[in-house]
Amino acid sequence: MNIDKYEEAMMNCRFCFMCRHLSTIGQVRCTEVDTPRIRAAMLYGLKTGTNSFDDSDFVDALYRQELSACCTHHCVNHYDENGLALAARADVVEAGKAPEQVKKLAAKFAKTIGWSASGKGDIAYFLDETTASDKQVVAAAKKLFAAAKVTPKTITGGTIGKVLKVLGYLPEAKAAAEKFAAFLKAEGVKTLVVSNPAAFDALTKDYPEFGVKLPCKVFCFSGFLNQQKVKFTKKPCELYYLADDFMRNYDGCECPEKLLKTLKADLKPFGTNDEESYCCGEGAIVLDKLNPKLVKALAEYVAARADNPKKDKIVVLSAYTKKCLAKYGKLNVVTMEEVAASCL
Amino acid sequence: MKIKPDSYMFEMIRTELTDVVGDEFVDVKFADKFGHSIDYYWIPEMWHDRGRECPKPDFVVHPSTTQEVARIMKIANQYKIPVVPWGGGSGSQGGALPIYNGIVLDMKRMNKIIKIDKEALTVTAQTGIITKHLEWGCNKVGLSTMHLPASIACSTIGGFLAHRGTGVLSTKYGKIEDMVMSLEVVTPTGEIIRTLPVPRHASGPDLTMLFLGSEGTLGVITEVTLKVHPQPEARKFRAYIFKDFHTAMQAGATLMRSRLGPCAMRLYDETETKTHVSKVFGMNLDKGAYLVFGFDGREKIVDLQMQYAREIMEKQFHGKDLGSKGGEWWWENKYKFFYPGYMFHVPQAFGTLDTVADFSHIENVYWAMKKVVNKEFPDARFIGHFSHWYDWGCMLYARFIFPGDKVPPNAEEAAALYNAVWDKAIRAAIREGGVINEHHGVGLKLGRYVKDLYGTAMPVLESLKAKLDPNGIMNPGKMGLPGCW
Repeated sequence: MNIDKYEEAMMNCRFCFMCRHLSTIGQVRCTEVDTPRIRAAMLYGLKTGTNSFDDSDFVDALYRQELSACCTHHCVNHYDENGLALAARADVVEAGKAPEQVKKLAAKFAKTIGWSASGKGDIAYFLDETTASDKQVVAAAKKLFAAAKVTPKTITGGTIGKVLKVLGYLPEAKAAAEKFAAFLKAEGVKTLVVSNPAAFDALTKDYPEFGVKLPCKVFCFSGFLNQQKVKFTKKPCELYYLADDFMRNYDGCECPEKLLKTLKADLKPFGTNDEESYCCGEGAIVLDKLNPKLVKALAEYVAARADNPKKDKIVVLSAYTKKCLAKYGKLNVVTMEEVAASCL
Repeated sequence: MKIKPDSYMFEMIRTELTDVVGDEFVDVKFADKFGHSIDYYWIPEMWHDRGRECPKPDFVVHPSTTQEVARIMKIANQYKIPVVPWGGGSGSQGGALPIYNGIVLDMKRMNKIIKIDKEALTVTAQTGIITKHLEWGCNKVGLSTMHLPASIACSTIGGFLAHRGTGVLSTKYGKIEDMVMSLEVVTPTGEIIRTLPVPRHASGPDLTMLFLGSEGTLGVITEVTLKVHPQPEARKFRAYIFKDFHTAMQAGATLMRSRLGPCAMRLYDETETKTHVSKVFGMNLDKGAYLVFGFDGREKIVDLQMQYAREIMEKQFHGKDLGSKGGEWWWENKYKFFYPGYMFHVPQAFGTLDTVADFSHIENVYWAMKKVVNKEFPDARFIGHFSHWYDWGCMLYARFIFPGDKVPPNAEEAAALYNAVWDKAIRAAIREGGVINEHHGVGLKLGRYVKDLYGTAMPVLESLKAKLDPNGIMNPGKMGLPGCW
């Protein structure tokens, strides 16, 4: 089973409570089943026969997880309960027990595999579907590339595998990764810039795990800007910065914080702590499609922690989080690209 | 009682519960019920590890208001259904386990901070709030509950109230019972009561204290007003290594008797210093006993307190000074001890023989427990530290640990071995003047010793229970009180 690779996490998390306060879904649903401890204990039950994937409630709990990885990030041993849950999803799919909604969603995304490029050169900007649907982010990115005197090739299209991996469809995810790598090679891309942290994580972490080699260097947007000689003439307004699931908890990437420093951003601490995930299930990629009611609750949870929900300006790193917090939390949210562009 | 899930009676009761809290907040699915079948007590963990099923509730109900709790209690009384309040489910004594099935009242929807009073320096909150979130809420306005136990991340404030919990700063700020101003409680028969608004009065016996530590057997604590404190200007620590545990204990007791008022103190015996403190700090402390203490408040006062404390440690007891860094290590890593890899874990068998006694008895309690564990259970290791110090004595956090390969694979045999250690060690502690226990509570684990402990006072406790809970539905079978089979 895929979960066997995460046995250490399963055995250690099943009786551990130390990240209970960071259990995003558990905190919103006020349940035990939505905590790393009980998920791990239930997965252990697969080994002893006390639990099974025939129990649809158990499977639902696995697909309800927001996959923020903040438990892993804050654990002193960094036990990867997040990885365990992803592996469990793969086992659910292999056992043919995926919920119908998950099957449909995976099939839909599998059909989107394919990309097109416009422009010239060996620097490319990958606009995934989520980011591409946010016109402000796209416009801000364009402005920033111009300020950096870079004219990238723009790549658009469907999934590069991340959503399939997250839903538990590993062979399909790997196939998408191989195709995307081949596409980049055919396009002669040497430098790839991505806005979506999920895409960054896929390219820098999932692909090596799949054994897929990329022909190019990959930069998150902040990391790319940090390397450019862009002149920022204005300071951003007072901001609340929400750390990103992927960039903080998965990748430990400090590029966004470095860029905010360059911008001389006046950052105020959001809510009561900087440990919880406020990304509305960004790590689960399509939680808003699988469980919009839950995402609404997550966004409302975040909004309830804002000092002044109507006035506060919040910066996030993903168009997904921006969309969820704005739509359901009624918060004033911008992405890092928008903040940086406003400082030109 | 076990209500058959496919019976119409089950549906009748579910309908009534749903009417109170809504369909979404009455869980009857296996996965949800499973989540309430294991707490931090070794027996159910081991039971689960061996592939055995633990008792599950029939219903997990998530109330959001005190009124809802009251209505649920009335329904439970009408049908005589056991009710077990559940906070974070991180108790080590089995206090929240639904051993007779029935209703688990998961309190975590009652997670609001109602008011922070900056004049009186109090916070009022619903009791289902995870304590870390309560603390964060207070920190946001520059205050602190100063209740900072290792389980702060997973326990609700209600859990601490129900079990008389304590935090790492207990020596200065007290245990949870010292922090409480007043409580709101739903009685077992569904009446909502509030205890007097201040803890110091001469208006008869203190009802607040009646419910603190009652472990859900006398009612459901739904709201609390706690004292809060400004964050101190300075908090400084210092640590010493003493030649042996006895000398360190004398040094610690002398510091307490000096009334210098440390905010925290910990003493680890030689074995725990060598095996545990060394591992957590990543340093070699292979000889002696590690003692750490700290002071907080105005920096100048803290420095003066520290100066006098150092005189006790160095001049009177010749402790080897590990400096402020040696103390900061402990403060910075104080919760690390409880993460897997540092904490004991199934398949090991382990338990915390948590006992409290005055300075005249505490060392005898330690030696008596150590002797009995070493003699009767040669496969077990005995370690101990003294983690909550008061003017008159301290708490012994003694632990026994069996390596996994020395624990019987058969669940019943493993449970028998485990219970035998408790029987011997706890009775030895009680004989030497120890009280079980200081902050984990009694629960299911220690219920059988309560009669020994209370002696002729036990009927008083039993009468209170019978009067408040005539149908015996509140957390039956815990704290040595009657079950409901």
